[in-house]
Amino acid sequence: MTLAPDGFAFVADLVRRRSAIQLAPGKEYLVESRLLPLAREAGLDVDGFVDRLRTRPTPADQDAVVEAMTTNETSWFRDGAPYAVLRETELPRLVAARGGAGRLRVWSAACSTGQEPYSVAMTLLDHLPAPMSSEIVATDLSEQVLERARSGRYSQLEVNRGLPAPLLVRHMVRAGTEWELSAAVRQMVSFRAHNLLDAPPVGPFDVVLLRNVLIYFDLATKRAMLDRVLRVLRPDGVLLLGAAETTLGVHDGWERVTVGRTSVYRPLAARTAVPVPIPAAAAVASPFVPAPRPAGFAVPAVPSPAAAPAAPLSRGAVR
Amino acid sequence: MKALVIDDSRTMRRIVARALEDLGFEPPLQAEHGRDALDQLEAGAEVDLACIDWNMPVMDGLTFVSQVRANPAWRHITLMMVTTEAEHGQIVRALAAGAHEYLIKPFTTDAIRDKLDLLGLVPAEEHV
Amino acid sequence: MTATVERDQVQAIAQEVFAAMIDGDLGLLLPWDGDLPTIDDALVAWVDLHGDWSGRAVLVTANDTALDLARVLLDLDPRDDVSRDDLVDALGEIANVVGGNLKSLLPTPGTLGLPHVGDELPPLDGAVRAHHLPLSWRGRLLVVDVWVTTPLNPKEIP
Repeated sequence: MTLAPDGFAFVADLVRRRSAIQLAPGKEYLVESRLLPLAREAGLDVDGFVDRLRTRPTPADQDAVVEAMTTNETSWFRDGAPYAVLRETELPRLVAARGGAGRLRVWSAACSTGQEPYSVAMTLLDHLPAPMSSEIVATDLSEQVLERARSGRYSQLEVNRGLPAPLLVRHMVRAGTEWELSAAVRQMVSFRAHNLLDAPPVGPFDVVLLRNVLIYFDLATKRAMLDRVLRVLRPDGVLLLGAAETTLGVHDGWERVTVGRTSVYRPLAARTAVPVPIPAAAAVASPFVPAPRPAGFAVPAVPSPAAAPAAPLSRGAVR
Repeated sequence: MKALVIDDSRTMRRIVARALEDLGFEPPLQAEHGRDALDQLEAGAEVDLACIDWNMPVMDGLTFVSQVRANPAWRHITLMMVTTEAEHGQIVRALAAGAHEYLIKPFTTDAIRDKLDLLGLVPAEEHV
Repeated sequence: MTATVERDQVQAIAQEVFAAMIDGDLGLLLPWDGDLPTIDDALVAWVDLHGDWSGRAVLVTANDTALDLARVLLDLDPRDDVSRDDLVDALGEIANVVGGNLKSLLPTPGTLGLPHVGDELPPLDGAVRAHHLPLSWRGRLLVVDVWVTTPLNPKEIP
């Protein structure tokens, strides 16, 4: 079952091209152990599986290998500051705007194993004043990952990642070797499969989290995704992106609001329509370069860019 | 930034110290138990962060935490438990005694970084 | 009587300990595949637990493997010398963390003894080996055993 050196090199190269992750020599055991389940499913040993990948590559196999080698634990309250802004600035602002009543709706748009939407849930549970209620819609492409997220159970290693101890004891209980979120937190989030290239879930939302997803796509696709978010975000709602991301230079329908060392984005007040080229209805025609594939969306096997028909989008018509 | 690592296992002290150094701390001070750590503080050691094991001879981690929190001169020290004690009730006890954070063993360097970010002690890694 | 601990929980704990402290990633500690070789030059690390059930968590491995584990934990080069003290401390700490995590599975909080390391496992009165996990760490044999001493309903002993 030991992976041959050139097999290892092949996998390392594939992973590096697709995800920028470097697998240095010395990580052979890691590759073997991660690929073993895939190989077994194919009725092969790891060497045989890699050979097949080289001689008869399929996008599904390639995706599976890259995914197996790049899966990492995700953090709770990732990057910290955005959640602080949510708690201290945006939430009070939204509560005031809603007159302290009604339901706040949140969309976590690449929720993976659930740490992000559950982090929001804990924040709302602790800081959203009665009688307001909330609903968090959490989406991801992978049904497998959604199953895990729905369970609300996490290993000790996962729970160690960025979850403040006071919140851990307030919102979780031990469940064997794992920790489980309280029913109160779990019932705030509904998880559904969704491809970000498709039409968004039914809005309107007050808060959208689209974190560390845009970076994997080209400009046109980024714009299209931000357009779709804009369609379902309330005019006074807020968008949270990843720490290294921005709408600047990508989509000019947003106002950047910097609070401390982080920024959040709000829909720019309605102004003259700006033509924004978006792909035709079926996202399949969308011209983008398949890049590393994190959770949240599919990478259709369309290697060559195709020209997308430009259609003017009138912002005023959205609401 | 300056840290103090308190654990009766030399191995664990080295692991935590190394992780802290990777995260930008000066080579941390080390103590084998709570009493040893208090002695160093009383002798004037400057410390921003203490990483504290729970079960140690002479003086355990919980007692150390209580002692530090009872001393106004040491109010600025961030106290993080680093321990195998992982029962819900134990974490509650530690927080009630005045610990600011709690890391369950086994932990990764990333986990320490995340905790320190929560505490405002180190910038979060840029995830790209 | 409450069940003690399940085999897959012991495995999960061992895998998490190794992933976090030694390998930097999950997946390098796997079930042993194939015949079990005898360990000629064995080193044993153990820690006793007391609570709803009492017993002992044990790690057994070859001396060479233990040295390599210690080198990883202490951030040494593969050919660096490891003092006996450092070896005992490092292996003992692995047993301590494994045992500590087992202890926190007990329904009511228990206590953990100090870790010990030696060439042989001393007998534990009235103990039965509840779980025996031969594991492979980077291809080398490492055994995790859990012994239980609290009298159990014989049906519950796997």
